[in-house]
Amino acid sequence: MNIVYKHIIRFVVFAFLQALVFNQLNIGFGIHLMIQPLFIMLLPFELAVIPLMGIAFLMGLVIDIFSNTFGLNTSALVLMAYLRPIVFKFYGPREGYDPLKEPTSQDMGSNWFALVYGLLLGLHTFWFFLLEIFELGRFGFILQKTILSGGLSFLLALLIQSFILNSKQKK
Amino acid sequence: MVEKSSLNEGTHSHSTEKKSGRITTFVFMRNLIAFLQRFRIFLVFAVLQILALSWYVTYLSFPRNQYLTTNNNIAIQVLEWEHDLTKHFNLSKNNTQLQWENIYWRKRQPKFMYQLSRGKVKINDTIFEQQYTYIPAEVINSSIDRSNNYFTLNVGRAQGIKRGMGVFCQEGVVGVIHYASAHYSLVKTVLTEDINIDVNIHSKKSDLPGFIKWDGKNARYGTVTGINNDLRIKKWSKVVTRGGSGIFPKGIPVGKVSHTEPIEGQALWKVDILFAADYRRLQRVYVIKNLHIAEQTALEARIPEED
Repeated sequence: MNIVYKHIIRFVVFAFLQALVFNQLNIGFGIHLMIQPLFIMLLPFELAVIPLMGIAFLMGLVIDIFSNTFGLNTSALVLMAYLRPIVFKFYGPREGYDPLKEPTSQDMGSNWFALVYGLLLGLHTFWFFLLEIFELGRFGFILQKTILSGGLSFLLALLIQSFILNSKQKK
Repeated sequence: MVEKSSLNEGTHSHSTEKKSGRITTFVFMRNLIAFLQRFRIFLVFAVLQILALSWYVTYLSFPRNQYLTTNNNIAIQVLEWEHDLTKHFNLSKNNTQLQWENIYWRKRQPKFMYQLSRGKVKINDTIFEQQYTYIPAEVINSSIDRSNNYFTLNVGRAQGIKRGMGVFCQEGVVGVIHYASAHYSLVKTVLTEDINIDVNIHSKKSDLPGFIKWDGKNARYGTVTGINNDLRIKKWSKVVTRGGSGIFPKGIPVGKVSHTEPIEGQALWKVDILFAADYRRLQRVYVIKNLHIAEQTALEARIPEED
């Protein structure tokens, strides 16, 4: 499949899953599952930062429209897109990334994926709740929300990864 | 020759001045371009962030357009499909609730009551006049986990919905209409940080007035502020709307007092309440239309302003 079509389909699927399934799940304890960071994570290595931020902005806009958050998701996703190349460079191999590989756990190893995605998702989630609550007096609550939501979203991302991985192996 | 050379020198020095001026602007432009190129990524990042955050900040204070919320056509269509799919999940529970509500009102209808004095016939009641009408609505999109939660309703300006109308469900208060488009509207619920609905806490001697607040943590619990701590509040005393602002009628349930504790340094109670309604599974709500609201606001506009 053409790589552009593949990512367009992923964009639509991730946006709809987030808007219609994960936004409607009210678990309690301030847990808010987010899968749209995984979409940004899985975009190809060679994509430059500026288009990456543009895509993140679009994705955030769609999610914000569906969840009445007026720009919170957009801001957090653009931040994540901005930081992605920096984190990739820091944890990447010395000779650079293989352009044939994708930033998934099966191409790059689960250790690398857990480290990089964990860091990016953590920063994204922290920024999201920091802006949403916007009160330093309640820093503990921000941290609690970040850890609970970020942790569960991370597990969810691993699950979705395994689905994508399985469908690839069948082909 | 000498004169000529001096003349030449003069023109030469003049042109170098011009040139140097041109060079400095050129250098400045080149530096600016280099700067922009160097920080291009950061500048794009900053612009996108400013766009997103200004949207967030302006929308929280006043809604300007409907295109960037669930009130636009495409998002609403998708949410309607989703709602069509999931609305039957709580059907039997909702029906039971509606049945109980019907029984409650049927018991209070005069025409179903036994008439004790047969001589009198009630023709037209001139003592009571209807002040509120209610518009039924369904919640088609909701959240409870954010620090400001908005619900989308399937009624809009076509049904007479306006900004500032109250919304409640059978169990209790839900919120206030924040924005109404042609066929849909957005409710600012009690699960937002600055909702400030005026309420009364029932106590034996008198009703204690206060305002609802929500701290963004648990969708089952809220707080009431502005209660003086010289009065005792019993646990599980009822909290109902006061009806002073004309948004809600008097006496719509809000919740029950679950915990009180004194605020340090102030003569006030911190009152925690358990909300009467469970906002996690809310489907059918009523929008309140106050028939006297224009009269009330016109009258209250006559209060002289203090400068």
